[in-house]
Amino acid sequence: MNNLEALKLAIAAILAHKLRSFLTLLGMIIGVTAFMVVLSVLVGFSAYVDEKIAGVGSNSFTIRRFNFEDFKDTDTIAEAQRRNKELTFDELEFIKERAQYIGDIGAKALPNSREIKRGGETLRDIRIEGVEPVVAIIDKYDIAEGRFFTDTENNNSMRVAYVGSDIAKKLFPQGGALGGEITISGIPYKIVGIQVEKGTIFGQPQDSFVQFPIKTYGANFGGLRGSRGLYFVASAKDDKQFAEAVAEARQLMRVKRRLEFSEKDNFGILTPDAISGFKDSVFGSIGTVILIVPTIALVVGAIVVMNIMLVAVTERTKEIGIRKSMGARQTDILRQFLFEAGVLAGLGGVVGLILAFLIGFIITIYIIPTRIYLSAGILAIVVAGGIGVLAGLYPAWKAARLDPIEALRAE
Amino acid sequence: MLDTKADPMYKFMDEERSNPAPSSASDVRPAGKPLISMENIWKTYQMGVEQLHALRDVSFKVEKGEYLAIIGPSGSGKSTLMNLIGCLDSPSKGDYWINGNLVSEMTDDELARIRNKEIGFVFQTFNLLARATALHNVELPLIYAGMRAGERHDKAQAALASVELGDRVGHKPNELSGGQRQRVAIARALVNHPSILLADEPTGALDTKTSHEIMELFEKLHEEGNTIILVTHEHDIAERAHRVITIRDGRIESDKKTK
Repeated sequence: MNNLEALKLAIAAILAHKLRSFLTLLGMIIGVTAFMVVLSVLVGFSAYVDEKIAGVGSNSFTIRRFNFEDFKDTDTIAEAQRRNKELTFDELEFIKERAQYIGDIGAKALPNSREIKRGGETLRDIRIEGVEPVVAIIDKYDIAEGRFFTDTENNNSMRVAYVGSDIAKKLFPQGGALGGEITISGIPYKIVGIQVEKGTIFGQPQDSFVQFPIKTYGANFGGLRGSRGLYFVASAKDDKQFAEAVAEARQLMRVKRRLEFSEKDNFGILTPDAISGFKDSVFGSIGTVILIVPTIALVVGAIVVMNIMLVAVTERTKEIGIRKSMGARQTDILRQFLFEAGVLAGLGGVVGLILAFLIGFIITIYIIPTRIYLSAGILAIVVAGGIGVLAGLYPAWKAARLDPIEALRAE
Repeated sequence: MLDTKADPMYKFMDEERSNPAPSSASDVRPAGKPLISMENIWKTYQMGVEQLHALRDVSFKVEKGEYLAIIGPSGSGKSTLMNLIGCLDSPSKGDYWINGNLVSEMTDDELARIRNKEIGFVFQTFNLLARATALHNVELPLIYAGMRAGERHDKAQAALASVELGDRVGHKPNELSGGQRQRVAIARALVNHPSILLADEPTGALDTKTSHEIMELFEKLHEEGNTIILVTHEHDIAERAHRVITIRDGRIESDKKTK
């Protein structure tokens, strides 16, 4: 008997007991669905961090007051707070003047939270921040309407704002946000640009922010220090020389801060790879632990398949006897039942995968982006089928070893 | 170390790889010999400390084209003999040759091949697959012979037509009468052109009229050249054969040509 015949037999046997097959499938479906949903969240989160937070592929990096290592424990935090001075515009100018590999570099100030008004409407806890005009180029802003700030507006601390689409919608439900005026702490600002809608990520709206020219921000919200401290965003002139640009920024900072050769940096440089690597180091181990739970569900699914196959062998002893008397070898019987278990479980894998897709789709809309790679999907089906074959091994072997005379006598 | 040879679970794997056909020249008899040759066959069961001899020193030969009935009361060893002839079991002692193959020494999978190629079974309770159509039931031996679907289909169709069930191919066993079911079973037994047709009480579950029809079918098949061995406890059924072997207490009591 060849594999195609075995496959046909397996499908016929599965269809012969629809309810039982469905219940058996359910075990595998739950296992595969749970596994794939968790995996898709993990992968989606990881990809999200890479793309959106770390900016892998964006070729920009930041120079900050602190480094990742500074947050190791309270001692290192205390030490860093003592050693690491805040970044200054002096340092920015110093880098700008001497840069060979760095393309654009601009300053941003850490965000604060404020109440924003327009007429009778009030929005609370809105993220506000100050940026240099060049940041829009470095971070590749998507502008829906209007424009970003000009250098003149920045240098003169003009009261202009660039806002997220949520702010525009909520404060100007009738439209006309562009050119409209919003008020913060009694001071009015004119909206000159509106960002393209980004939706929510991890339940956080991405469209609820107000940006000001950095000098306006410093002048109207209490100076660019401490909670409004500076950090720099930079890009490489040539994408291929990104590493050189990062090294150059570090070297120039060290020169400017007069660090001895033996001293370590008293500032931090965050590259997309560093953030991505940090995420992997934290997330890799968490991910493994989280995946153990749905793996248990898969094992339970496998036990269900094994149980059903044992029932099937007992129930079909007569059939096995008939097949053997017609010349079926042990391998033929073995293959018949292994295929049945494999197809049953593989089918569970397919249905589970489809369900995982649907659930992942819903999670993507409401909570966080999820992702199922094609390779992971195929692997899930293959693994599910493989689990089925493993679970079917003992029942199939039992069937194959049946004595044909005894089997024929069974009712 | 895992000994795959000793572990029965792996045994079939080795058998699958090795050639199931008789390997040495001495195992193959020259042509012109009898179709079946049983030489000093013993079948002994160990019942605790006691030995139960189901068959004691049974020897007989069957030529091609014979119509033989084996008759005996229950417990006579008749079923054991049938299982041996049908290669469902191996003798404890003695040589059994069928169509040039020494089957008494064969492994399970080699026996399966002989059952597939040399034996066509007809059972008292038909033993059809309940969920399969008549056609699929008849195809069964051909599937295990490795025949391709198209050819298999044609052969099974022809076999069903030869037992006058050409118009019932798509019916399942529960949609057929007892006589029709037994004819499906006979078609299945014949489809792979076996050396012998081995029937175990083929009319045991049928009424008199249908029994008569089935027996006429056997006679027709015999006239067409098939070798038939009929195992029964009914004398009027055995009388239709051309030779009757009577078994009692595991021995051959008589072996008579009746026609």
